[in-house]
Amino acid sequence: MFPTSTQCKFWMFGSEEELNKLRESANTKHIQRYGRNVGESSKYDFFLTPEEEKIMVKRFELHLRDFCKRFQPPMPRCVIGTAFHYFKRFYIRNSVMNYHPKEIMVTCIYLACKVEEFNVSIQQFVANIKGDREKATDIILNNELLLMEQLDFHLAIHNPYRPVEGLLIDIKTRGSLHDPERLRPGTEQFLDRALLTDAIMLYSPSQVALAAVLHAASKLQENLDSYVTDILFGEGGRDKLEILIDAVRAIRSMEKMADSPPDKNLIKVLDKKLEKCRNPENNPDSEIYKKKMQAMLDEDDDLYNAISQQNQIRDSSALNMSLPASPEVA
Amino acid sequence: MDDFACPRCRTTKFQNPSLKMMVNVCGHGLCESCVDLLFLKGSGSCPDCKIPLRRNNFRVQLFEDASVEKEVDIRRRVLKDYNKKEEDFSSLAEYNDYLEEVETIIYNLANNIDVINTNKKIEQYKKENKDQIQKSKGRLGKDEFELEELLELEKQMNEARKQEILLEESQAKKKKVQRKEALIDELMFSNTDAKNIVQSFAQQAKEEQEEEAKKPPQKKTKFSTGIEFGRKSQVSFLPVPTDDGPLYQYTPVTLEPDGPQPPAENDVITKGFMNHVRTETEQERAGGFQTNIACMRALQEAMMGLYHTKKVQC
Repeated sequence: MFPTSTQCKFWMFGSEEELNKLRESANTKHIQRYGRNVGESSKYDFFLTPEEEKIMVKRFELHLRDFCKRFQPPMPRCVIGTAFHYFKRFYIRNSVMNYHPKEIMVTCIYLACKVEEFNVSIQQFVANIKGDREKATDIILNNELLLMEQLDFHLAIHNPYRPVEGLLIDIKTRGSLHDPERLRPGTEQFLDRALLTDAIMLYSPSQVALAAVLHAASKLQENLDSYVTDILFGEGGRDKLEILIDAVRAIRSMEKMADSPPDKNLIKVLDKKLEKCRNPENNPDSEIYKKKMQAMLDEDDDLYNAISQQNQIRDSSALNMSLPASPEVA
Repeated sequence: MDDFACPRCRTTKFQNPSLKMMVNVCGHGLCESCVDLLFLKGSGSCPDCKIPLRRNNFRVQLFEDASVEKEVDIRRRVLKDYNKKEEDFSSLAEYNDYLEEVETIIYNLANNIDVINTNKKIEQYKKENKDQIQKSKGRLGKDEFELEELLELEKQMNEARKQEILLEESQAKKKKVQRKEALIDELMFSNTDAKNIVQSFAQQAKEEQEEEAKKPPQKKTKFSTGIEFGRKSQVSFLPVPTDDGPLYQYTPVTLEPDGPQPPAENDVITKGFMNHVRTETEQERAGGFQTNIACMRALQEAMMGLYHTKKVQC
């Protein structure tokens, strides 16, 4: 149920401005923390600006979509939708410079596969990745917990796909449209593109679904307005109609802006810049990262040793006590 | 016990080590072979006091003093009827009075005091408490039950230990044979001095034995009685806490759809929504999954949250 979900309670936002503000604050926090000795005026020479971060996120969203489309075995749509949600949520609170989107992207997809019950093993999963698969496995598994933590463990996602099915059933039953199945290709296309926008964090899944259906209808020169106003909102919903019309209009205008891939030269520049300014503590290729992991491992070992030693002491003391008590031992 | 003899045939334990003394209700002993002899003709009476005896009343004598044996016998018979437990009495004093009475009866019978009257008393008691006796018979006392359990456990432990020892012995035997064979092989095929070989083998055997002796005894986690260390012998569970709070009241869940009301379940079935959904397969129906559920869910999700807006709240 969407209205009672964590998605509705914690991860729906009022406007794009609110989202952008959150992203900006993540960016400034990062710079404050790691760029203390960089001057205020020259900080963006070294660090990414919030705008640049947005471009990077956008770029990896496109990556995410392509990766999912090419994934073998083919994955259900809801996995893609869920992965998109995770990815967007993560970069509302975190800076691109702290965690590289390339790594978070695959982790999001892997986690989405699990949550949406699309069963692939990690071996099967990394088989879809080019390059060093062992390293990719390490990255995904190391980041998985971090990702969940950053999502506050709110893992259930309501995607707009089932609402679309419901709307089509309803239109077929109560509407007067001829052959509503024709709407399907247009709807799906719309939803794919809507994932790239912030619409899924501003509007409820059913609103997105309705916008998609209406968009598909208008493309086919059909009109569903009477269905919406008279049947769907017929009883007691008149006063709410305005909200819906606004929402649908906003979603459709956002979708129009969705598909503009960033300039290739700009991407190259940004990639280089990010490579320089990314947090070495979270870069698996850096020495600091390796040292950190080693330290964690050592800590584990130390802990293990301490526990086993304790156990041994306890065992031997228990045995001593038993000596006089048990005649057979003596 | 050695100088104890059968009163009839005068056989002693010394003459016949397998002598088994039997005892009957009267409390006079008789050896096993004499008992066999006595009942050869079908029925017999005690050679000491001449009261007629029944064969199946003979038991193996456990106590040296046959009169104790007699008392035990009487006690068993009396307690069969006087089988009230402490729980049956309202106060401890009443229970103690009851025990006193039982003891008196047993004493009288064992020492032949006022036998007729005492027997009458028992008969009367039996008549009066017929129901209660029957009831108590069925229920084994709690103590007896626990004791039985303990005995059973001990028996199992013994069995396991026996098995272990047997296994160890057979392994040791095998090892010995192997060592012998190795020695013979060595003597046959090696061309070093035979004396040296024998000596080195003896040395080796000795070392092995020493090592075995050195082996630390296995860690014990239980006493020989089968009770675990650091734990009370009888694990009794804490009583389940009963919650005396107010009774739970079921309130049906109300759906806040935040959108238009989705069609009710009846309408879904009757108003033709189902015509546009794939019907369930046989396997799905077996799992209790019906088409109308899927249809309802899709419709609900389509309507829910249509009124959603964050702007008003901000």
